[in-house]
Amino acid sequence: MERVAIAGPNFSGRSETLRARLGADGKSFFLGPYAEAALSGLSSTVADEIAIYRGSAQRHATFPADIAAAGMRKPATLSGGEQVLLALHCFSRSDYGAIGIDTALEQLDVANRARALDYLAVGAFDVTLADNRVEQAPAGWSRQDTARTADGFSLDLEGIAGALKPRTAPAIAISGMDFSYPSKDIFRGVDLSLAPATIYRLIGDNGAGKTTLLKLLVGVLAPARGTISLDGTPYQPRRSGNRAFALATQNPDHQWCGATLREDVARRRNALSGRGIALPSEEEFAALSRRLGAKSLDNHVYELPLVARKRLSWLWPFCGAMPWAMLDEPTIGQDRDTRVALAAAVTRLGERGYGVLFVTHDDDFAACVPHRVLRIGGGTIREE
Amino acid sequence: MTPNGAIVFGLVVVAGAMLARDAGLAMLAVVCIAFGAVEIQSRTLRALTWSAGIVAPLAAFMAVVWIGIVGRAPDEIAAGVTGSRTAAMAHVLTVSGRLFLVALVVQLVISRFAHLTPLQFIRSIAAPVTVKKLTVLTLSLIDTILQAVDRARTALIAAGVVTPGFSMRNIGHGFILIQTVWLSVITIATGRLKDKWPAENTLARLDHALSSPSVPLGCADLIWIGLAAVASAVAVAVR
Repeated sequence: MERVAIAGPNFSGRSETLRARLGADGKSFFLGPYAEAALSGLSSTVADEIAIYRGSAQRHATFPADIAAAGMRKPATLSGGEQVLLALHCFSRSDYGAIGIDTALEQLDVANRARALDYLAVGAFDVTLADNRVEQAPAGWSRQDTARTADGFSLDLEGIAGALKPRTAPAIAISGMDFSYPSKDIFRGVDLSLAPATIYRLIGDNGAGKTTLLKLLVGVLAPARGTISLDGTPYQPRRSGNRAFALATQNPDHQWCGATLREDVARRRNALSGRGIALPSEEEFAALSRRLGAKSLDNHVYELPLVARKRLSWLWPFCGAMPWAMLDEPTIGQDRDTRVALAAAVTRLGERGYGVLFVTHDDDFAACVPHRVLRIGGGTIREE
Repeated sequence: MTPNGAIVFGLVVVAGAMLARDAGLAMLAVVCIAFGAVEIQSRTLRALTWSAGIVAPLAAFMAVVWIGIVGRAPDEIAAGVTGSRTAAMAHVLTVSGRLFLVALVVQLVISRFAHLTPLQFIRSIAAPVTVKKLTVLTLSLIDTILQAVDRARTALIAAGVVTPGFSMRNIGHGFILIQTVWLSVITIATGRLKDKWPAENTLARLDHALSSPSVPLGCADLIWIGLAAVASAVAVAVR
């Protein structure tokens, strides 16, 4: 059995190398970073997803995943980490002889990630892994290095952080908040106070409700009960609109409001100007996006590589329009240098008076950012 | 009852409803309600309410057009006679009744097999694998669009471009929602076609997942199909 860890910086052709190793002969399982590359897209329920991959003769030990019991849930409604666990479970029930994983394990919590790596290390199948957090190939694995290509996307997070205008983020108070999905209770009577201009890290198991909390604060979801206030003033984003939080979503493609950056920015400007929220000028946005690697505001975002799209998703939290920045798994797909630069930039956000809520399972990244920890689980949120 | 029996029952009712009028439609409705009462019990009420809710807006629209504006039934227009609003109302009732029956029988069959996943239901149908695959792909496309709608909602609500509830802003920005959904559908589909499906030959897995031995129709199937056939024949005869 061959186990290969592909190592290299961003834009060095790791994904292409991985795909080339897998080939296109239908004999390998592919697990990419987001739903469209992790799940088959052919099933309406978790049970169907497993049934599609079930081989005529199961050749591997089953990778146990709690999510496999949630038979009637729609796969697309699972959290990013749960989707990866489901995909690994499906692979383990299949008859594929090889698996290729493109940065998907970066979405797993510490325990699940360790479990997944252990499983991959002993299975009777070939493994090709691209993962930014595997610095050294584990024992028994070989390493394939890739080198940065000349046309990489430049990144100047230091410049962005240096240009941030100071402001004071309001305190957030959540009182008695309940929220449930049809198949799962997430929050029950949550009381939480977030200090102004403070950096918080949300931690919890995959599917605990970290992204759900962010969606509740921006108004995408509505709590069944409870109130939110900003500096003591009631805040109802579903009625009055989001006026405090700049969200960079886990999958960057969940946040574009247009086909190009210019269109995206124009639509946000148009929406927020009516609420008295001032955005940077178009020239400032152009400069910001250049520092994040976009050659022009007229770039079609969906045509850029995924890593570049992920970086551009930080444009919004770092433009300074909103007092609170929300970064959901910001380091997915990013190499070590980028993660270090991002940590410094997030730290700078806090120093300039912005509040930050970030979700990550990357302990090394989090260790570089001075922060307070909010643990989500069992229907509650508590500060540690 | 088997899924195949339920599908044949549904098709017979739909065929009967397309040809029946007035009393015939009422008779078919009675058969459907009896089917619901026996097969899905209390969920029949929900199926009835859901079907009425689906048809009501269209019925209201037809009432405005045919009774309020045109004031004559289509066959009166074809015959070149003066016509009346009463005939127009009968026409609207017949068309609405047919649509209601179609919606009801679909809902009843779906409710009867709600314990099965979509793949299990499709797998058990007596049809060529190609037809089953096309059905799975159709459901997949619907799911992809719903997923894209969810993505677009997240993006646009978080950015303040649209609001979660009904608003004038949403009417004005409806085209942005449509564009964002469309771009998301393309991105999701491209992601699958470029990376996942070629490596795995994912579509070929459906051959195995959808093949199943054919299950013969049971006694309950034959009774319900027979009842629906008799009711349809009588309904056509009395029109």
